[in-house]
Amino acid sequence: MAPAEIIFVTGGVRSGKSTFAEHLAKAKALEIGGKLHYIAAGMPTDEEMKERIQKHQWDRRKSGYRWQTWEQPTNIATLAPFFTEKDVILLDCLTTLLTNELFSAKENADEKELYNRILTGIGEIAKSSHQLVIVSNEVLLDFFPDSALVRKYCRLIGKLHQKIVSISAQAYAVEAGIPLLKKGAAS
Amino acid sequence: MHFVTGGYFNGKRNWVKENYTADQWISAYNNEALIEDDSLFSGSTVVLEGLEQWTKNLSEKMVLDEARVYLSRIFDRWLQWEKEDACRRLIIIGTDISKGIVPMEKEDRNWRDLTGWVYQDLVTRCSRVDIIWYGLPQTIKGGDNK
Repeated sequence: MAPAEIIFVTGGVRSGKSTFAEHLAKAKALEIGGKLHYIAAGMPTDEEMKERIQKHQWDRRKSGYRWQTWEQPTNIATLAPFFTEKDVILLDCLTTLLTNELFSAKENADEKELYNRILTGIGEIAKSSHQLVIVSNEVLLDFFPDSALVRKYCRLIGKLHQKIVSISAQAYAVEAGIPLLKKGAAS
Repeated sequence: MHFVTGGYFNGKRNWVKENYTADQWISAYNNEALIEDDSLFSGSTVVLEGLEQWTKNLSEKMVLDEARVYLSRIFDRWLQWEKEDACRRLIIIGTDISKGIVPMEKEDRNWRDLTGWVYQDLVTRCSRVDIIWYGLPQTIKGGDNK
C-alpha cells in the first residue's frame, strides 16, 4: 500500500492550528469513511496543561466525531502497527514530541539520532495509515537562544520542519485562525 | 539586491546556495566583518550572510539613529556597486528576530529595534525580497526579473 499523504500544519500559540488540523482530518475521514485517531504527545505536568488538554478533548468530543486518543509522549513508531489504510491520524504536536524525546534521551544524545527517531516514527505511521496530519509550532522567530540545549532543540525543530515540509503534500501556516497554504493544492 | 529573510534554522542558506552560485560568500557567523568598502567585493555574485549579527555589533557601538543612518549609507554603496555592472548581484541574508517576547535586556531591545529598522531600509533598496519558511520561498517583493 502507498504511504499516507502527510499534511503539515503550523502556527503560533493559540493560532487555531489544532482546530484547523482537526477539520482537515475530519474531512478526510468523512471522505473515505475512515476512523479518526489522535496522537497526543503532551503529558499533563501541571494544572494549566491539564486544562489545555481537557479543552482540546472537549472540543473534539463536542464536534460529534469519535476520536481514538493515543497518549504517546515518545517513540510514536510503536503505534504504527495499530493503524490501517482506513485510518486518519492527527499528531499534536511535533514540538512537544521533540521536547519529550530530548528530555528522555541521554544527556549527550546525538542530534542525528533524535532527528532520525522522530522522522522514522512519522514515516512508519504514514506507511500504515491513510493520512497523517502533523501539527507543530512556530518557535524560530525569536532571538537566537543563548542556552546550548535550547539551540539544540531549535536546530532540530528547524531541520524536522524543513524535512517534513519537503515530504508533505500540503503545508499550512495558520495565522489567527486563517490557514495560509504554503505548499500544495488546498483539499 | 536580493534580501533573504526568515526565522533561524529555516533553510535560508541552503535556499541561496540552490539558487545562486556565489563568487564570494561573506558570513558574520565566521566572524567576518561587515563590508563597508565595495572594493572588497570580488566576482559578480556576492552573498552577505548574517546581517542581524552585524546590526548587533553596531547596536553595541552606536546610538541607534546613528547606526541606522550609517548602515543606510553602506546599503547605498552596495547598490551603487551592483548597478555599475549588469552582471553583479548582491544577496543579503538576515534572520528575522522580531517576533519573540520583548527582551529583558536593554541591549537586546536595541539590537532588535535596530535590526527591524535596518531591514526596512534595506528592503526599499532591494529589487527582490524572499521569506524562507522551512525551505519554501515566499517572494514578497519583485521576483519577475533577476
